[in-house]
Amino acid sequence: MLVEMKNIVMEFGPMRAVDHVDFAINTGEIVGLLGENGAGKSTLMNILAGSFLPVRGEIFINGEKVHITNAKQAMRHGIRFIHQELNLCKDLKVFENMFLGEESKKYGLLNKKTMREKSQEVFLRMKVDIDPDALVKDLQASEKQLVEIARALLFKSDLIIMDEPSTALSNKEIENLFLIMRQLKQEGVSFIYISHKMPELFEICDRYYVMRDGKMVADGNFSEIDEQQITKLMIGRHLEDQGFTHKETYSTGEVVMSVHNISGKTFRNISFDLHQGEIIAVTGLQGSGRDGLADAIFGAEGYTGVIIVKKEAFDQKASILKRMKKGVAMVPRSRKERGILNDLSICDNISIGYFNTQHKSMLIHHSREKERYLRQKQNLSIKSESPKAPVTSLSGGNQQKVILGRWLESGADIFVFDNPTQGIDVGTKFEIYHLIIDLAKAGKSILVFSSEYPEIIKVADSCMVMYKGEMAARLDRKEITEEKIMYYSTGANREGKKNGETA
Amino acid sequence: MVKQHSEVKAPSIHLRVKSAIGKVFNEHSYWVSFVIILIIAFAVDRSFFSWGNISTIFVQASVTGIIALGMSMVISAGEIDISVGAQVAIISGLSIEVLNKTNNIFTMLLFALAFGAIIGTINGLLVAFGRLPAMIATLAMQTICRSIINHLGQGGPFTVSKENFDTFRMIAAGTLSLGSIRIPYPMIMFIVLSLLFGLIMSSTTLGKYIYAVGSNETSARLAGINVKLIKITVFLITGVLCGFSSWLYSSRVMAVAAASAGSAYEMDAIAAVAIGGTSMSGGRGKIIGTFLGALMFKIINVILTMADVPTFLNGAISGSIIIVAVLLQNIRNQDR
Repeated sequence: MLVEMKNIVMEFGPMRAVDHVDFAINTGEIVGLLGENGAGKSTLMNILAGSFLPVRGEIFINGEKVHITNAKQAMRHGIRFIHQELNLCKDLKVFENMFLGEESKKYGLLNKKTMREKSQEVFLRMKVDIDPDALVKDLQASEKQLVEIARALLFKSDLIIMDEPSTALSNKEIENLFLIMRQLKQEGVSFIYISHKMPELFEICDRYYVMRDGKMVADGNFSEIDEQQITKLMIGRHLEDQGFTHKETYSTGEVVMSVHNISGKTFRNISFDLHQGEIIAVTGLQGSGRDGLADAIFGAEGYTGVIIVKKEAFDQKASILKRMKKGVAMVPRSRKERGILNDLSICDNISIGYFNTQHKSMLIHHSREKERYLRQKQNLSIKSESPKAPVTSLSGGNQQKVILGRWLESGADIFVFDNPTQGIDVGTKFEIYHLIIDLAKAGKSILVFSSEYPEIIKVADSCMVMYKGEMAARLDRKEITEEKIMYYSTGANREGKKNGETA
Repeated sequence: MVKQHSEVKAPSIHLRVKSAIGKVFNEHSYWVSFVIILIIAFAVDRSFFSWGNISTIFVQASVTGIIALGMSMVISAGEIDISVGAQVAIISGLSIEVLNKTNNIFTMLLFALAFGAIIGTINGLLVAFGRLPAMIATLAMQTICRSIINHLGQGGPFTVSKENFDTFRMIAAGTLSLGSIRIPYPMIMFIVLSLLFGLIMSSTTLGKYIYAVGSNETSARLAGINVKLIKITVFLITGVLCGFSSWLYSSRVMAVAAASAGSAYEMDAIAAVAIGGTSMSGGRGKIIGTFLGALMFKIINVILTMADVPTFLNGAISGSIIIVAVLLQNIRNQDR
């Protein structure tokens, strides 16, 4: 037994991200860790790699109890973590990034020659052609991911954790990665492989662990289970889920927003119509241009082409405010960095949308502000104590409701939700799905940008799938399945048959 | 978990008192410091609370205090303006020239306000569109203003001419008599402007937008706020206030020395804002804090003089007080 995690508990504020979890991995084993987004996989792995300190629980390596309090210590124990988001310094060279914090030195000075050679060696093993002297910012997304992987292979390690390593990779690159993984496995290296892509997991992994809502719900051998069973384990589902999927559409057929062949930095030639009362989901993997498209529609990013909102054409010069006044609203992704105004009160956070679009008089009427707060508090059941409390005193889900309240008070009727349930606990997630459907019922038109399949199936009338900046497919409600979304968003229809066979 | 819940439901009296005191310290720390300083002042000088003394402190605090109101806005928006002292030098020097040419106090005021608006707008444009860090943009502006007025003054002061002397002097020296008490004009100006800006920051959308921009630019932009316009506005308003302050300053000194006029005013203004509890990283703060901060800064000087602290050491002590004030703020912010 190489590594054992026992009874691990992790909490973020009131939210329990990891709930009494046991986990074990043997020498020379590849374990697949599965679960929906937010199930606690990354948190668990961050604990193992020393990024988070668990509230409770113990970690054993080769039977010995260890305290891993930071990444350096984890590395000393032979544990490497390839993170989901790329942690590279974009202004440094490839080899400098690979050796960051562990530079090889000669007479106290950097030994660049050795570092270059070693980097080159690893790339050769991985059969990729990346110049160690290239600047990271000049690399493609897939190349960055390969550098991140190469970094873990650079030093001798016993356990390599890979958090969705293949999202930006082509099938060929994934095959090469698997080749190296198998080779290292022979040498006794273990892997924890986190992925949403079933075919990959079944191909490379020996055993599985399934997490759901912070708990470890199942484990076993991949040879004894099939995709359907494992999906069921992952989604499992709670009471709220039963009979949830809404069947009817509230679309009236009247076009409220028409996107005409727009292209931006990360996406190309996107066209579609949004009808009143319709809910369209837009999905795609990291780097598919999904984020850029959401920002462009709201006027936060430049684009060519026009977007017609209720008969008024907006080119890229049209400001966010102009779009807001025409009824467009966006609940942005990364709520902490892009959504909430963290120094302001809950009340002000709600009112700011109204101020921008409707406020006319010289002074603010504090009593009316409070009315707005109370109205949205009740409307969205925001769990808050006082309008003057800082917005940061609320949980993530309630903060998201505050932002939604902001737009409801601004009088918006076209809503762009960009990853609306990111980092939100399951209960509140369902509340937000209900709110989205209620909005559609009330005649509002909705675009949901999401990477979460369960979210899409629950709310969307139809789903657009993006791949490498283009619209790869448009699925209507009957066609939306996890397999199909995966199939188009990984570009399987263009690049190969491998994933295609399962679709 | 269970244990924590029971604690939340029934806080002991001790905890409740503690949290109430904590609230005063957190939300209104400037009142606490203000009261402490008043007590010290009274201990040092029993006649401290005489009307004459109080009104003198107001008059002394007014010039930098008015600038601090603008500084409060700039800092709340997450920026800084260190050109205000040099702005006062160039505006007061040139507006005295205008007064001497036109013999009209109000033409002079209009000129000062407009000139300040122009300098402020340039600062704002550099920060908003040129994407210069505010520290660099206003540092450059400070150097430019000071250099130009030094050149124009050629060593000599800008002096108010004889025919305007008596009328213009009364702007700063005049008083409004209310029964037996006489309220100096600068005191009225400072209080009225403080009330006005307090209202702007707390009860207008502009105020809310300024805090929003200082809190988180990206979020503010995505809430539809024109971030660039807000930034230009805060620098512009600060410029206008510098113009007003220059007018008042000219009337107080009557002869403006190019090299030393308004020197270190930016530090006084920033200090008033900092002592007043405004977050140096933007997003939080109150005008009343700045108002009290400006007064406290002058009161400290009075105390030091009363206590016979050598004049040259005044700076060391007021500097230490700023450090303590901001340190306390940081400790509070960590609690959040």
